[in-house]
Amino acid sequence: MKALTANRLIDGEVVFWQAGQWVERFADAELFEGDAGEDAVAAAKAQPTVVVEPYLIDLAQGPGGLAPVSYRERIRALGPTNEPTHGKQAEGGAAIAALQAATGAARSTGRVDLIRRK
Amino acid sequence: MYRYDAIDREFLADRAAQFRDQVVRRLAGDITEDQFKPLRLMNGLYLQLHAYMLRVAVPYGSLNPAQMRAFAHIARTWDKGYGHFTTRQNIQFNWVRLGDAPDILDHLASVDLHAIQTSGNCIRNVTSDPYAGATAQEVDDPRVWSEVIRQWSTLHPEFSFLPRKFKIAVTAAETDRTAARAHDIGLRVLRDADGALGFEVMVGGGQGRTPYLAPTIKPFLPASRLISYLEAILRVYNRHGRRDNIYKARIKILVASLGAEEFARQVEAEWSKIGEGRDLPDTELARIRGEFVKVPFETLSPRSAGFEAAQAADRAFARFVRNNVKAHKQPGYAIVEISLKAPGATPGDASADQMDVVADLAERYGLSDIRVTHEQNLVLPHVKLDDVPAVHRELAAAGLATSNINLISDIIACPGLDYCALANARAIPVAQSIQDRFADPDRAEEVGELKIKISGCINACGHHHVGHIGVLGVDKKGEEFYQLSLGGSGAEDASLAAILGPALPADKVAGAVDKLVETYLAIRHDGERFLDTFRRAGMTPFKEAVYADAH
Repeated sequence: MKALTANRLIDGEVVFWQAGQWVERFADAELFEGDAGEDAVAAAKAQPTVVVEPYLIDLAQGPGGLAPVSYRERIRALGPTNEPTHGKQAEGGAAIAALQAATGAARSTGRVDLIRRK
Repeated sequence: MYRYDAIDREFLADRAAQFRDQVVRRLAGDITEDQFKPLRLMNGLYLQLHAYMLRVAVPYGSLNPAQMRAFAHIARTWDKGYGHFTTRQNIQFNWVRLGDAPDILDHLASVDLHAIQTSGNCIRNVTSDPYAGATAQEVDDPRVWSEVIRQWSTLHPEFSFLPRKFKIAVTAAETDRTAARAHDIGLRVLRDADGALGFEVMVGGGQGRTPYLAPTIKPFLPASRLISYLEAILRVYNRHGRRDNIYKARIKILVASLGAEEFARQVEAEWSKIGEGRDLPDTELARIRGEFVKVPFETLSPRSAGFEAAQAADRAFARFVRNNVKAHKQPGYAIVEISLKAPGATPGDASADQMDVVADLAERYGLSDIRVTHEQNLVLPHVKLDDVPAVHRELAAAGLATSNINLISDIIACPGLDYCALANARAIPVAQSIQDRFADPDRAEEVGELKIKISGCINACGHHHVGHIGVLGVDKKGEEFYQLSLGGSGAEDASLAAILGPALPADKVAGAVDKLVETYLAIRHDGERFLDTFRRAGMTPFKEAVYADAH
């Protein structure tokens, strides 16, 4: 399973693709099976004044539900771990808790084609 | 402190306006991200994990209260109420919006600050001794020379597109508080046998993937020839630096591949072509020097009854004096270090309110002078001994009186994977876990000077190669792991740390540091710091202590 993410141009906010729109919550991201996200990537790349550098990330089932495989991507979806009131994690709730419960994969890049999953 | 003139101010205003226009064009789609990225980086604006990050230059780590208040204002207005002081004596704001960046640059320009040359392959902000102009140790005020270099290197057309970034540090004291040998160029001000002023020139140091300590290529450069000699070094580098390979593009690789002697020979050859015409006229040097010498010190007794009585009456104050208060060249004054490493804090972070407190204290008690250290702390360089108790009280009320300068909890840490787009692992939580483990101030003092430096990736912004204990975050089979190294130093006894053994998971790092410390305490000789004991005893006892369970 995959999701499409980018940083919003105007403020750098981490955003996720949802049916042609950009949303701020990972929990609202559209999920893609297999190569189904490629069309969304192409559409996102055609929005250079909205987002910077869109890319697909790999997701996996964690103890609380789907979460990015890569630690880096979970930090992007949550906020910095040293400031729990900063970033998206400040909202709290079950979806945030599920991301926080996921473990593993510290890889510096969360991009699908650079990740080698065991 | 050096003051900008009308031309400087006009230039900064123009530059901010220029960037405002560039942002408008980017948002409108008139320029692409590929075209815009180098422009924003030339104004210190990076895109990190959660937002844009703006890195503001603090020239040689020297600030006045108005500038510190401007940082507080920026933190409150356009960030989340705090800023992060860096190992290049700069400040970074972690939550900047692109749309706000031009307003921030305007605000910075209003107090003679900017973010120029805090990124890119140019000569970066020159760093210097945070005790400059205050310590009796110094041969000359290194800020004078830092300012000379700042003026020469700012927007220098020949050196704006070097093979890679370029960092210069200037120290003038026997104690090196700048990590001079870990720089592309380290300059140590000294006097020769005849008393003439000059520089020891060290070239080709650096950390990152391939760490080197800079060899000395010229033991004594007459001070008057500084600019032409720097120009010769930069020209040799500009000509032969490895532009084809980013991992080999720093000057350290060139110096190491040519050998220091051959590199020095090429510099001398280039220098002879440049001649003296490029050097700074004495009149201009005198003008710059004049801006730094007018410090209105009072004539005071070297002892202060109030200062001594406060130490006798207040153990916390006495501890603060032992660790954070340093000798001043002027009788009756002290250098006061302000730790940004409180228990549980993010190393180098200061809130907007704390910045305002420091600005107020500098104004009331510190001759309006503030410094940033490369170890991510702040300094009030000129405080009367009589006033130190009051300064301590007000720092304590603001959560800024942590008495741990140079102790085990005074940790350098880069932003790491919590913020940085380049990081492999987090650095801040590891620093916090070690701070927690050594939160007992008595124990920290018993351990004595111990410098822990943590980087979240091989780029080594956290200076792990020159930590007494270095910690490098690595990605090991998809998990955050931390490689410990021992025996590094960025001070006058500079050395590179050696790897202790296999990397450890995050939750084992503080325990491993504890074992290293216990080993040191068990085998240290009188007067030895951790680093001295390591150098005498070698790696074996430390390695056995940490990895005993693995056997």
